[in-house]
Amino acid sequence: MNQRIIYPTDDGGVAVIIPAAECGLNIEEIAAKDVPEGKPYKIVDVADIPSDRTFRNAWEYSE
Amino acid sequence: MAVTIDGSAGVTTNAGGSVNPSTNISGINFSCRAFVNFNGTGTVAIRASGNVSSITDNGTGDYTVNFTTAISDANYSSIASCSPSAGPNQRIVVMNFGAQSNTIVAPTTSACRFSTSALGASADVEYVHFSAFR
Repeated sequence: MNQRIIYPTDDGGVAVIIPAAECGLNIEEIAAKDVPEGKPYKIVDVADIPSDRTFRNAWEYSE
Repeated sequence: MAVTIDGSAGVTTNAGGSVNPSTNISGINFSCRAFVNFNGTGTVAIRASGNVSSITDNGTGDYTVNFTTAISDANYSSIASCSPSAGPNQRIVVMNFGAQSNTIVAPTTSACRFSTSALGASADVEYVHFSAFR
C-alpha cells in the first residue's frame, strides 16, 4: 500500500501507521482497527511522509 | 526403520533413536501467531508479515505491531530482533516498552509495542523482526 495513516500522540508528536499489504484489509478498515479510539486521523500518501528521520521525534500532526 | 510413538501426536523416532518432531506434540500446537519483518529506517515499510494488519511508527525506534486477528490472550511470548543500522555499534530491542513515553506498555491481545535503541538512546534500525508465540 502506498498510503499511511497518521494521528497525534499524547506527547504532541505524530504516529504513522504502516499498513501490511498481506493482511486482507483496506486502509479504512486498518484505520478503524489500529488508530486508538477517539483519536483524529488522516490517510496520506507515503510520499507525504518525510524519509529523513533525523528529527523524527519533532514531527507534529496538523489538521 | 521409523517407529511411530504416537501417531495422533505425530512424533516419531528413527532407527538411531533420535526424535523427529512434527508440528504437533502431545496434541498441543504451540504456534507462531504473528510475525513481521520491516525496515525501520527512511521510509518505514513492511517486507513480509503474517496476521499483522499494520505497524505503528511511534517515533524514533518505537514501534507497535497490530494483529489482524487478536491472539487468544495477552500471555503470548513475543520476540524481536534487529540489525545494527550502520557500523558495528550495538542495537538492542526492549520489549513492551514505549521509548517516546518512557513507560512500560503491557502487551494486549491485539497489539505489542517495543523499542530499539543504541547506547541507551532510541534508534532506528534497518532490519527489524518480530514474532509472537502462544
